[in-house]
Amino acid sequence: MEEEMWRQFYEKVKESESKKDRTEHDIRIQELDGGFFEKFGTLLKEQHSQQEDGDGLASVREDEQPRSVELQLDIPEETGEGSPAMALQDSDSEPDDADKREFITDAMGWNIEELYSEILYEILHIVGCDAAAEEERAPLFCYLQEAFKLDYEKHNQLLEMARAKEAPNILLNVEVIEARDLRPKDANGLSDPFCTLFLTSSVAHRYNTSVKQETLNPVWEEHFSLPVENPAEDVLYVEVWDFDPAETVREKMMKIGEVKGVRGLRKLMKEIAVTASTGKHDNELVGCAALPLKNIPASGQTLWCTLEKKGKAKKQGDVKIQLSFSSEKNSQVASQEHRHLLRLMLLHELENSKECDLEEPDGKMFSKCKVGVEPFQWNGKFSQSAETILTQHLVQCGLSTAVVTLAQWVEFSSVHVDHPLSFITFSLLLQKLIKPLQNGLITDDEEKLFWEAAKKILPSCYNGIRKIRKLTHSDKSTLQQLSAILSILSQLATLQPPEGTNLFPPSIYGWLAVSENEPNCDIRATLDAAVTQGAEDWFFHILENNNSNDPSEEAQLNHLIRIIQLLRTDLQKAIEFHDRLFQQYFRFSYAKTLYKLYESKVAELVEPVVTEVCKSLKPLKFNDRATDGICDNDPLLMGTTLFELYLIVQRFAVLGTGLCPVDSDVFNIHNFHLWFHAGVAQWLDIALYKALQRIKKAVEIDNLVPVDGSVKYSSSAVDTLAIFYQIKIFWKQLAWPDVEGSYTFVAKIIDDICRCSVFYADQMSGKVEGMGESQNVYEKKFEVTNEWCLAINNIDYVQQSIQPFVGELGMEEIVTSLANFRSQTAADHCQRTLQLVIDNAVDTVGNKILELLEKVAEKMAPAINRFLLEGAELLKQENNCVDRLMKYLDDNLLTLHSHLNTDNFSRILSIIWENLSHTMYELVESNLERRRPPTFFLNLHETLKILVGFFKQGEEKNETNSPAILKQIEHLLLLHGMETWELIHQYNLERREEQIALELPNLGLLTVRIQFVEDLLRIEILNARNLHAMDANGSCDPYVKVHLLPEEKFRTVTKPRTKTHKKTMFPLFDENFTLHLTPEQRHLKNGLIMFTVKDQDFLGMNEFLGEAFVSFSDVPKTDMTTGLEELEQVHLKLSRPTKQDSEAYRALENRHDKLSRDFLKKEKAKYSSS
Amino acid sequence: MAAPSFQGRHMRQPSKNTLLKVVILGDGGVGKSCLMNRFVSNHFDEHSFHTIGVEFLNKDIEINGEMYTLQIWDTAGQERFKSLRTPFYRGSDICLLTYAIDDRTSFRNLALWRNEFLYYADVKEGTTFPFLVVGNKVDVESEEREVSCEEARAWCMENGNPPHVETSAKDATNVEEAFSLAVESWAQLEAKLDRPYIGDTVDLQRQQPEQRSSCCLSVGSNTE
Repeated sequence: MEEEMWRQFYEKVKESESKKDRTEHDIRIQELDGGFFEKFGTLLKEQHSQQEDGDGLASVREDEQPRSVELQLDIPEETGEGSPAMALQDSDSEPDDADKREFITDAMGWNIEELYSEILYEILHIVGCDAAAEEERAPLFCYLQEAFKLDYEKHNQLLEMARAKEAPNILLNVEVIEARDLRPKDANGLSDPFCTLFLTSSVAHRYNTSVKQETLNPVWEEHFSLPVENPAEDVLYVEVWDFDPAETVREKMMKIGEVKGVRGLRKLMKEIAVTASTGKHDNELVGCAALPLKNIPASGQTLWCTLEKKGKAKKQGDVKIQLSFSSEKNSQVASQEHRHLLRLMLLHELENSKECDLEEPDGKMFSKCKVGVEPFQWNGKFSQSAETILTQHLVQCGLSTAVVTLAQWVEFSSVHVDHPLSFITFSLLLQKLIKPLQNGLITDDEEKLFWEAAKKILPSCYNGIRKIRKLTHSDKSTLQQLSAILSILSQLATLQPPEGTNLFPPSIYGWLAVSENEPNCDIRATLDAAVTQGAEDWFFHILENNNSNDPSEEAQLNHLIRIIQLLRTDLQKAIEFHDRLFQQYFRFSYAKTLYKLYESKVAELVEPVVTEVCKSLKPLKFNDRATDGICDNDPLLMGTTLFELYLIVQRFAVLGTGLCPVDSDVFNIHNFHLWFHAGVAQWLDIALYKALQRIKKAVEIDNLVPVDGSVKYSSSAVDTLAIFYQIKIFWKQLAWPDVEGSYTFVAKIIDDICRCSVFYADQMSGKVEGMGESQNVYEKKFEVTNEWCLAINNIDYVQQSIQPFVGELGMEEIVTSLANFRSQTAADHCQRTLQLVIDNAVDTVGNKILELLEKVAEKMAPAINRFLLEGAELLKQENNCVDRLMKYLDDNLLTLHSHLNTDNFSRILSIIWENLSHTMYELVESNLERRRPPTFFLNLHETLKILVGFFKQGEEKNETNSPAILKQIEHLLLLHGMETWELIHQYNLERREEQIALELPNLGLLTVRIQFVEDLLRIEILNARNLHAMDANGSCDPYVKVHLLPEEKFRTVTKPRTKTHKKTMFPLFDENFTLHLTPEQRHLKNGLIMFTVKDQDFLGMNEFLGEAFVSFSDVPKTDMTTGLEELEQVHLKLSRPTKQDSEAYRALENRHDKLSRDFLKKEKAKYSSS
Repeated sequence: MAAPSFQGRHMRQPSKNTLLKVVILGDGGVGKSCLMNRFVSNHFDEHSFHTIGVEFLNKDIEINGEMYTLQIWDTAGQERFKSLRTPFYRGSDICLLTYAIDDRTSFRNLALWRNEFLYYADVKEGTTFPFLVVGNKVDVESEEREVSCEEARAWCMENGNPPHVETSAKDATNVEEAFSLAVESWAQLEAKLDRPYIGDTVDLQRQQPEQRSSCCLSVGSNTE
């Protein structure tokens, strides 16, 4: 699912590439670093196609060309010339181009004319139905003359001689093999069949087979040689008889047991047959077949003949016979003649393929435009003329198939040394020879010849394997050649060469490490050596051809990359084309052998370079707080090339695991990643650096409009996620094999992602910084814009993608394998760390979002402040200015609400509300200092109530939730919105609280009785005690005055006063007062009775001695029947105001009206009188 | 202060904390992880295993009325982890160079650690970096001590004069103090950076913290 999400991000980016402006957009981002991440991506793609190479044979080379790394290989040219065959030639032992003419005469000088006339003679007495007619002999003579390179005169001379010779003694060799479906002749439904053969020219000379008893499908497999007088007209008759056992015959048959030797048996059978044919028998003819000799091909044939019988239309059965011609020539001489003839013909054929081409236009094996046959192309097929001549020779000389095949093997291999022939030819010959060789059916001399020839072929076979890479793999025929080579080798390997044979003389097998003296015939071991040798040669060839003169590390790395690529390509070809053949013929793991060699070479080559390069890597110079000033980062390119090498080596190692799943861990390359250890750190650093740069660019070119209608974020957020995605791809490509390393690198990547996200957040907020602000001469204004919202959403989007992104990195898998590799505890530990890093990242980015939200609120504050102020100033003029405030809030919050997600909206709402509270508080405070009239604060209070309603609309009323500062504001506004008299009363109420809280009555006690009867207030002042002396004489003249508070409401009521008592601290007043109140006065909330004790002075300067307050609500309410004296005495603690910093007091100090001034003056007097 | 009520999702309090990245370096086995764990969770594990690559913990700390969030990266000391830990040096604000007072080698390697850090952390040349030299395992018997406090101080004097402190993660001695000291040292350097360049006086001021930083928060029993 998460994968899906990332896909979508990525696709979104891809998709938008189709739009022109977006394409430009991306190009601009990529331009920044030359498509750094894309390059990594491309690497991946290339690897992909590399792997696909295996499927398309022909594409191998084409694919390599467009690679970023230029292959400086001359191989394609070499092989591309259309002569892959050249490669197969033995470069080690090949003599200089020998003069072939000379070679022929050398070999043939002894009897070339004799052979020539012999052949002419054969042509003159041509046999077989496939032979040329008299008039068609001319081209044969012509061909022969050319092949033997004789002039016309000589030819005629020899031809005359040949004509003069008498006709050859030709034999027709017949093998009667079997018969089938014979008509039964005996009573038992069976027959006892035998065959009789004769030629029409010599009817008396009959040849009979043995009798097969009681069968209709007899098998004879008997051979006969019939002298042929006139091959053109003679007819062979084959008769099948049913043997009727006459007495005499049976007797003779009894003798069979006594006959010794094959010859004797044949004689006996002949006698039996004679008996049968001379009529002295009761044998019955089953059927007869007639075969005109002219219908028989010179090369012979095997056929089924239908048996016929005079007067019988019905089929009598079939007989199978094999027919061929032969001569009575000495077989030794004949086979030698045949070999020489073969060689002459072959050389002629090879030289003059053009001519052949003309004669045989459909011959695909011959090149149309070139004279001569290409090496390795000749497939054992002669031209028509040559075929005729050769067939005539072997027939007329009576050579056996085995002898002819051996002759071909010997002669072809001789020619092969100078002019290589197709291996397929040899392979086929060997297949025919293998049986006779294995069964010892040939003479020792012939066997020797065979092995001598084999020795001539073998070097080219092994060269074929060693130079296997120069074959064109797309060409099917070359694979057939390889197949043929392996077939030849495998067949030879089954044979035992004669004692003392050294198949691999060191003079020829220079590349083979063999001891000089010991005969070596191990074909398989040599194959192994050839494969290894070939691979080594190839490796050094690659090294030489790609030798780079550039000593820079970069060049060195590229050099290694090229080499490994070429080796990989070679391995892939080996796997694709060759391995199967080697397996088939030898059960030889070709590709594996190559791999083992290559991997050790690669390890040997790569490890020191990589280790050195990694050691020399310098950390990048940059930091994410100011990415602008980055320079001096040359190693960047190096990092990518090193990474490229890493990937190549990685693929190479993977190939090895595929080839050898069991023992891949013994390979030198198995721990290749360790060489790159230090490089990874560098790559991660590069990735971070690049990512930061890209983010910067992405933010720069983001025009802060949603990428499409369905989302609320803009291009840079998508770009940033695309960068993350690229980092993920990088990580996946790295496929770091070591689990501890994986864990640490993932931690680093997560941390980097965090940095990227924070960096993005910073860049984003920097971008929107000045937006939404407008300024005219009167005011600076800020409106929340869509851009602000998008910026917030962008960061939010990036933040939300962190956790899923980390999942993508494969954290789970890493932790699981850590548990296996180390322990569950260790795994848990690491997981905890990773989770902490993630949480940290998410939180840090989250704080960035809050920061931005706060910034928005902060920017809104001045406007809010101003509207609040105006609202308060302009009194209640239809609440116009509160409306302006509300409109401002409404507009901006609407923008926020429609663009931000729910979370962020509620966040900013809280922040704005919080800020508003502070603004309000500050406003109140500052205006208190400016001594604003109560109406100002009253208005503010109203506004506050509206605002509270506005912000808490959706929320449930929850007083405890409302911020403390709000309570404070409300309190202040309440206080300062009061009329002065209210404020004074507030002050007095507080004084009463103070009085109650008082522990010790330090100014004495006043004892009273008070009662409410309906609207009457009755007060009895009893006494005071422990009054404080104010006079110099240490005494005072006290009296008590009673005030009802707030005075504003009790102006109509007289203020009672007691008499003054002289010089006493314990006056006994004992005076009663009755006050008539109106019902409104009586039920006034918070009404107070204030008792003031004063010291009467001569000069009327009465001094304050103490005061006490009683709340209306504390006064007992009785009816008329209860007398005041029945009530309990109340002891009131006398006190004086001590604090001048109470809020009410300070509020009063801010007032400038007379009432407050007078009041404060009085209070101060009380205070100072102490 | 009003706490914005966020629905739905866990969210750290919006903090105005200064984020500081702290890296702890030192030989394997000197007790880096223990220091961190003691500091962050006030917990000590006698049998803790080798750190694999890196470990990470967060800790909020108040110093001189300022709130800091320390993002502490504890690294693996073994050589084989070298290329795994070095990427984490970048962007560090504070570096704790640790050794064990009962392990002379770990003390001798301080210079290597310091150099490794400076090389990979991409610290701007010519700037003083807030290092803190921590001698851990001060709880060991005095006869097992191989590095004296004076010696360590002398080393500090010769190497940019970072503050030095001896700690015990095991019995929690000076652990809090070490981290506080590190942050203070950071704050002082930071304050200096923020201050506009005022000519020669800067050099004089640079001398001052050196005097202060030579103070060694030693444990009583070891100063005898």
